[in-house]
Order: sequence, then structure tokens, then C-alpha cells
Amino acid sequence: MTSIVWADGLVKRYDRTLAVAGVDLDVAEGEIFGLVGPNGAGKTTTLRILATLLEPTAGDAEIAGWSVRRNPNDVRRVLGFMPDVFGVYDDMRVWEYLDFFARCYGLPAATRKRVIGDLLELVDLADKRNSYVQGLSRGMQQRLCLAHALVHDPKVLLLDEPASGLDPRARVELRELLRELRTMGKTIVISSHILPELEELCTSVAIVDRGRVLASGRIADIEQRLRVGAVLRVRVLAEGEALETARDWFAGQPDVAASAILPDGTIELGFRGDEAGTAGLLRAAVAADIAIASFARAASDLEELFLQVTGQDDPAASMAPVAPGSEVAA
Amino acid sequence: MTAATGRRRLPRLLPRLAMPGITAIGVKELRGRMRGKRAFISVTVYVILVAGFAWMVGRILEENAQNQMMFGGGFNASVQSAGIGRGIFIALMFLQTLMILVLAPASTAGTISSEREKQTLDLLAVTPISSVAIVVGKLLSALTWVFVLILASIPVTALVFVYGGVAPDDVIRGYVMLFVTAIAFGALGTFFSSLLRRSGAATGMTFVAVLISTVGLSFIWVFMNVTSQSVFARRPPEALFYLNPFVAQADVACGAEASQGSWCQIIDTITGTFTDFGVQPGFDGQPGGGVIIEKGIAVPERFVPDAPLPDVQIRGDVGFGGNANVGGVVVNDVLAVDPLAAGRDRYWPRSALTLMLLAVGFTAAAVQLVTPTRRWRPRLPGIPRRRRTGRSAE
Repeated sequence: MTSIVWADGLVKRYDRTLAVAGVDLDVAEGEIFGLVGPNGAGKTTTLRILATLLEPTAGDAEIAGWSVRRNPNDVRRVLGFMPDVFGVYDDMRVWEYLDFFARCYGLPAATRKRVIGDLLELVDLADKRNSYVQGLSRGMQQRLCLAHALVHDPKVLLLDEPASGLDPRARVELRELLRELRTMGKTIVISSHILPELEELCTSVAIVDRGRVLASGRIADIEQRLRVGAVLRVRVLAEGEALETARDWFAGQPDVAASAILPDGTIELGFRGDEAGTAGLLRAAVAADIAIASFARAASDLEELFLQVTGQDDPAASMAPVAPGSEVAA
Repeated sequence: MTAATGRRRLPRLLPRLAMPGITAIGVKELRGRMRGKRAFISVTVYVILVAGFAWMVGRILEENAQNQMMFGGGFNASVQSAGIGRGIFIALMFLQTLMILVLAPASTAGTISSEREKQTLDLLAVTPISSVAIVVGKLLSALTWVFVLILASIPVTALVFVYGGVAPDDVIRGYVMLFVTAIAFGALGTFFSSLLRRSGAATGMTFVAVLISTVGLSFIWVFMNVTSQSVFARRPPEALFYLNPFVAQADVACGAEASQGSWCQIIDTITGTFTDFGVQPGFDGQPGGGVIIEKGIAVPERFVPDAPLPDVQIRGDVGFGGNANVGGVVVNDVLAVDPLAAGRDRYWPRSALTLMLLAVGFTAAAVQLVTPTRRWRPRLPGIPRRRRTGRSAE
């Protein structure tokens, strides 16, 4: 797969603050790529540089082969951008809103009509065609904003915190929509600090903190590279003494760093091994005649990963193999 | 061959001039502005105001004329009627100038800043339309509304032809000046709108600038004129009035009253044209006791009874001909004479040109301020520098 979004040593300095301190990115075509990081990590600034809204102080980035510095107009033609905070025009109907942006991209009249119809179907707003934009719910506005970013059929979509301020139902709808877009062949770069959301969606992530990429790649790969443990939850058909015996058995296994019995009777294990190791542990437990009702990795892998990566005093030192080689330290 | 090349180059040039973007912005803005009854109501109200004002001015002037006739004014009815027509025309031009000075900045001062306030400017900036298209599109669509108002007033203004005293070309001059006023002060509003983040602040600053360019600069001229009262002192530059559309309208009025009347006196005072008031015969120490005429000063015919200076531009319709009794004034030692000095269309086109240049300058500055990746950012005291992310890396 070829890389479609590529950044090399992006730096953005505001007076004395360094918002982005040397970010490298490499996103392959067709991926859903997550930028994970706490507030103020530089995610938004990075996305705004990619969207040609900010000029980097140093470094360069390319979208579909166009440099954001030298060919911003070409970048804009292959790019759809949805900022984290955006407003809507008063006094505008839904179809007019899309029509306006379609005109901005120079779509001919006949195409405009078809595209607006298709997009409204896609984001499920076809029945709101003649409603006023400011009267839509937040989730609908978010979907409309996503639709506006798609009028010119861009190759790459940059979404900055697309799910912020959405209720759970709207979030699920948004996720379905993004999946659908991926099947349409779009590359999506999405930033968020809500991790479970990204975990379900993204094929790759970059963990960003203080303007630097601390780790990037497929989630499982990062996990392994950082040797960060996973959390395993095991339900055993036992109570009291028997349960504690089972816990002790698990605690004695290789790669198990910690073990505890949760109030609901589930055994939680801190496990350092990879997926093969997990399978081995399960096999051994079955062989040891422990009655296992369920055995699963906890869903918040990315959260754990994130906390471990960003929680360290000197991330650059301990993450040396995956940290960018930039000398521009904050 | 060249024509063919030119024709082929034109379509390629147009996209570069951001036409599609301007159309997109224009369609969007006008959809908003002209939706529903709003546009209809504002045009109606405007025309009613203008017409009502014209009617009242007409009534006042008619009363005056009747009184004059009654008490032996000595003029015949057609002369009186022409005076009324001119009075209404001038009053209408002044009223509309005033309204445009309010409406044009008010309709543009919010265009860019409201996009910033509503956080929609970013959505626009990531599309391929250029900053030129954004600024020009918004300016033109805001001005379209003002232009509609100006055009709607033409039928009312045309009623002055019933009275006479105003030629159609006077009306055209007046309207050209109105359009120029709208463009210049609209561009001013757009500039402040792109400079400042808040629409309220932009509107306020725009009106401060309008006041400075009209009242403020004119006051400076008056101050300089009073403090340098001497025939030989340098006259304050008339350019201080170029930004004041009222003075330009006064010049148009001067043209309508055939260069002899109260409006012409104002213009003559400003431009330094030789008038009765300026003649200071018999200065001691001057050769021949005459007056040195500086460059740029025109001498009306009545001061040159024997026309000794063929290259002096004589103002066309000097009603008094050679009858003016100026005693023993001999105009000599003419250093140079500006051939356009006393021309009828001398002052207002300069004012219009200055205003148009100003409009271009402000529009260009606004374009620069709207460009997201611009290199320079002005820092004004009291206006915190905007950080787009608002986040720091600590």
C-alpha cells in the first residue's frame, strides 16, 4: 500500500510555545488512522497544518503527493476537512449549504444536484433537505459537516474530534458512517481523545503528546513493541476458596504481572504476553482443569496503552525506538 | 491572430481571477440577504424615506420662492422653478450620501468577522476558492444590496426634471459619486471585518474611520486654513476633502448651478480657485501692484476684463461677463496656470478616484488578512494575538 498522508518533522511554534514539535506521520491509502492524545497534545494543530490552514514553522507534509507548503490548492482539491469546532450559517437550508460548498469546488450544476442528493442519502439527512441548517440537532449538523467535506469526492478525510458533543446514539451512527466511507476507499485521519471510539474504528493510530508522536502503527504492534501488558478478564465457575486457588494458579503463570479478584467474581490479570501467549495461557488453564466461563482481553487496550505511553516522566527516553528523531524538544 | 489568442486566454484568466469562487460566495450571500420579505421591505422603506424627504424639501423651497416673488424678488417663475429643482436634487444627493455612509459599512463590517465568530471561515478556507474570491464575493454581494437601494431611488430623483435646473448629466455625476461612496466605504467595512475578530468591534471601528475620513479630515483642513491665514501662505491641501463624499457632491451641485452660487463658493474656497473673496488688489511691493497667481489658481473671466492672459482657463458660464467691477486689479506675473484648474469636472473626479484607490487598497489588505497561512499578522494593542489551537505544549 502506498502512503497517501505523509508528514516529515512538522513543527509549529507560536511565540514561545511549541504546539507541534516534530511530528512524522505515514498513513497508507485506505486506512482509518487515529491521532490519539490528551487535550493540548498538538492533534488539532497537526490536522490544521495538513488541511493547509496553518503553515508549519518547519518540516513539510504531503497529501496524495501534494505538498501542503508548495501546492496548497492541489491539496485542498483532494482533501475533505471537518474541524473540531465549526459553525453553520444562519439562514441557509440544508441543500443550499451543500450546494454552496459544491460551487466552491467548482462542480457543474448537473453534478451538483446529483451529488447533493447522494450525500444527503449517505448521511441520512434526505428528509431534512429543505430544513434550515441552524435548526438541526448537533448530531445532524455534524453529519452535514461531514457531507460538506465529501462534495468533491476527496481521497483523504481529516476529521478533528468528530464525535465530541455527540450523544451515544449519534456516535454509533457516525462510526457506521465512517466505516461506510472506508469501504468507499477513502483514507480517513481522525483525531480524538476518546479512546474506545478510536480503537473500534482505526486500523492504525499515532499516540501524540506534547507535540510529539510517541508511538505509531497498528494498535497490536505498538502494544507489542512497547511491551505494555494487556488486561485479561477471566470468569471461572468457582467461588470462595476455589476461586482463590484459580487466581493463585493464574498468578503463578509466566507473563502474568498482576492478578486480582473483582467484586463480581471475575479474575483480572495484568498480562505481558502477546496474542500467542494469551492463547497458551488459556490452553494451560483448560489443561489445569479450571472451569472457564469466559476469557477475554479487556476492551480498553488503547486506553491502557495510552496511559502507559503518556504517563511516563520521560517518554522520549523510554520510547526511543518509536519516538521521532527530532531534536526540537519542548 | 492576437485577437484569437486573447480570446483563448480569457477563459484561462477568469478562473485565476476567482470568478467561480466569487459566484459561489455571491449566490450564498444573496440567498441569505434577499430571502423572504426583508429585501422587499428595506427597499420600500428606503424609497419612501427618500421620496418623503424630497417632497418636504420641495415644499420648503416652493414656499420660499413664493415669498420671494410676492415681495418683489424680481425673478421669473422658470428661474424659481430651476432653483427648486436644483435644491431638491442637491438635498437628495446629500441625504443618500449620508444613508450610504451608514448602510454600506454596516452591511460589510460583519461579513468576514461573523464567519470568524460562527467558526465557518475555516470551512471556506479549506476549499480551493481563493481569499480574493472570499473577500470580493462578500463585498460585492453586500454592495449589491446597497446598489439596489441606490438604483431604486433613481425614479424619485428623476422627479427633479419636472422642475428643471438640473441636467441629466448632473444626475449621472451625482449617482456615479454615490456608487463610488458605497464601494469605498463598503471596502472599508470589509477591511475592519477581516482585521478584527468581533463583528461589534469591526462595526464600531468602521464608523470611527468613516467619521475620521469625513468630519475629521475636513476639520483638519479648516484648522490649517484658519491658522495659516495669509494670501501668500500655502493653502491647506484640498486632498484632505477627497475622502469626504459630501464635498464631492457639493462640486456636482456646483456644476448644476452653472458655477456660480453658494456650492461653487465652497468648492472654490477648498480648491483655491480665485474668487471675489480672494482678490486683494494693490499689494505693496508687488510689481505693478498686482497679484501673484500661484500655480493651480484659476482666474475667473470677470477678473480679467481685457483677457490679457490667453492661457488662463476661463470658467465657462460666468454670468457677469465683463461687468464685474474689480477696480484696478491687474493680474500679472503669472507663474503657471493649471489648465484644469477651473474646469467643471475638476474636483469630484479626483475625489472619486481617491476613494476608488482606497477601496482597492482596503480590499487587498482584507484579502491578505483572510488568507489562512499569511506571513504577517498585525499586532494591535489590546487585541490578543489569536492562537488557533489555544493550546500550549507547556
